Amino acid sequence: MRDTPSAGPQPTVAEKVFAFVDERVGLKQLTAKMLNESVPGGSRWAYVFGSILLFIFGMQTVTGVLLMFYYVPTADHAYASTQYIIHDVDYGWFLLSYHFWGSSAMVVCVFAHMSQVFLWGAYKKPRELIWVVGLALFALVMGFGFTGYLLPWDQRAFWATTVGVEIMDKIPVIGDFLARFLKGGPIPGQMTLSRFFVIHVMVLPAALIGLAGLHLFLFRCAGPAGPFRGTPVELKAKTDYFFPRQIWKDVVGMAMVFACISALAFWEPVVLLDEATPDPGDYHPEPEWYFLFIFQHLRLRMFSGEFGQFLASMLLPGLLGVMLLLLPFFDRNPERNIFKRPLALIGWVVLTVSILLFTVSAIINRDFLD
Amino acid sequence: MQPQLKSKVRCADREVGEVAKVIMDPLSFEVSALVVSMNGAGERQVPIGAVQTVTDNLVQLRSSSSEVMALPPFKREDYVTLHEVEIPGLERHVHVTPGEVLVPFPELERNVKRRTFFANLTYVTGLFIGLPLVFPVLKYLMKPMYAPMDNRWLKIGNVAKVKADDVGVQFQYKRSIKEAYMPESLIEKNAWVVKASPAVLEKVYQGKDMEFRDAAGKTIWTNKKDTPYLAFSGKCPHLGCAYKWRNHKILGPVFLCPCHLSIYDASGKVLDGPAPRPLDLMPIQVSASGEVQIIDMEFKAGTKSQTRIV
Repeated sequence: MRDTPSAGPQPTVAEKVFAFVDERVGLKQLTAKMLNESVPGGSRWAYVFGSILLFIFGMQTVTGVLLMFYYVPTADHAYASTQYIIHDVDYGWFLLSYHFWGSSAMVVCVFAHMSQVFLWGAYKKPRELIWVVGLALFALVMGFGFTGYLLPWDQRAFWATTVGVEIMDKIPVIGDFLARFLKGGPIPGQMTLSRFFVIHVMVLPAALIGLAGLHLFLFRCAGPAGPFRGTPVELKAKTDYFFPRQIWKDVVGMAMVFACISALAFWEPVVLLDEATPDPGDYHPEPEWYFLFIFQHLRLRMFSGEFGQFLASMLLPGLLGVMLLLLPFFDRNPERNIFKRPLALIGWVVLTVSILLFTVSAIINRDFLD
Repeated sequence: MQPQLKSKVRCADREVGEVAKVIMDPLSFEVSALVVSMNGAGERQVPIGAVQTVTDNLVQLRSSSSEVMALPPFKREDYVTLHEVEIPGLERHVHVTPGEVLVPFPELERNVKRRTFFANLTYVTGLFIGLPLVFPVLKYLMKPMYAPMDNRWLKIGNVAKVKADDVGVQFQYKRSIKEAYMPESLIEKNAWVVKASPAVLEKVYQGKDMEFRDAAGKTIWTNKKDTPYLAFSGKCPHLGCAYKWRNHKILGPVFLCPCHLSIYDASGKVLDGPAPRPLDLMPIQVSASGEVQIIDMEFKAGTKSQTRIV
């Protein structure tokens, strides 16, 4: 680190530049504050998901901006410009596929991160605000996935969005207004594409940057929660610092995620279906995989009928969201050991398993339809 | 060397207390005075000029203890800590904890009434700017949301295509759409036409002619109950997918939607699945030569009641 002067008598150029900036900005203190954050109980692989999410967001921003050099968000050019990126622009296929798989990776890591925080009880006092902001970030990530999906304007994109927005229409009182607002009219078209584009590349990124900053700030205020086993004295004795031990684990995590996304991008590149038409024809609309479990619920008999559909697609997920939001406020038990919180453990297992089951059954159901 | 907090303070004759606070001049970054806690006898503000020497744990003053005791008591309200103001660069010149370093609190800032008024003025100005923008911005965003509807008659084909009664026959047609600034485009749509037997016709109309009204309540068209041809909108009332005419293993020939498996009979009635209402009918006219014309309509999906949206 730059805290110690070089062994030789003359400072290097880098050290001179650092000293120049430090004199004006207090860089030494700043870097110390950022890097010497203490991680009680030692660094853990379980803690890497937050940093990984930041990394994925960075990569999505980079690939996203690059895509915007060629993509045109109008109904008459969206499909052609996307195909141009895939087939004609050098490495365009890779950048687009990376962006596509990166969004799936983000959803997986968000689930992993939320699960880790939940299981470690790191949402309890004094970390309630971090959890609440985190839930808002989760909603933003889902919003990103939903809005970005429309942009290629092929059959899959168009119809997944159409169905998704119609579901939003089911919200009582404000549903019609909300759906028309998102669609930019009574039916999806150019107005929809324009709105989804603006939301995807400006509104949501601005919100994400703001809230992620707040999330990190609140996290630094409260400090890492650390393991749920061990006395405060034991944990203090085993303290690691963010640099180098936790950063090392974070970097390995990021590298592995990068490798996975790249591999998927390379071996399963994005292939567009036919261009969107107002009539789905033979195409069976389906949402992105991370919405499939809700999609599958809508097929169950018990959720048939107008109210049933509203129940399955909006009310129950909404209630789950509210429960998660209120979690740190009604779970005041300071116990953080997951094995001593049977309700929490069972709840998490049930939720995770049922999401997995419904997702898998939705995929299996595909072949059922002709 | 700067005086350290908690250093003992000694006058010419004896020790009088310790350094409680340090007062700095925010412009020159120099210590201008010390606040000495006089061993239980209150605090005194001692100007830096009275300091003779400063060592690690001791501040030696020139004056005698009685002179220092005679100084006016320290007025805390005239000063603010470095937590309350930001003096850029001060930390580099100060070697004490910021909370104990004080800077003078400007006279102008002290009048609470003026500060409150100014804060309120800022909010009011903000409202004056913000409030009138809410309505225009809302209208701006809402522009395309409630466009008027098109009630033109479209030719979609000839009834010669319909070979049998109570069978769904798909008619594909093109509708011209002009969306905002986009060039006029033709979109391909489809409708299902059924030549209904009297029994099916009865199920559909239930003895009443079907009226189509616009938003104002004026009748656009009436489908007479004795017209044997029915034109169903090609979109499933559940969630808007295009449905098909298929042979079901148990229910026989039916309309089947592949998305969520809603099933309808030839009259459009729901036999199975999550559809909230029967298939939507559109205004239909059949000329003497068998030309079928419809007014292309779309209805909100997923609701029990029928609401026209296109």
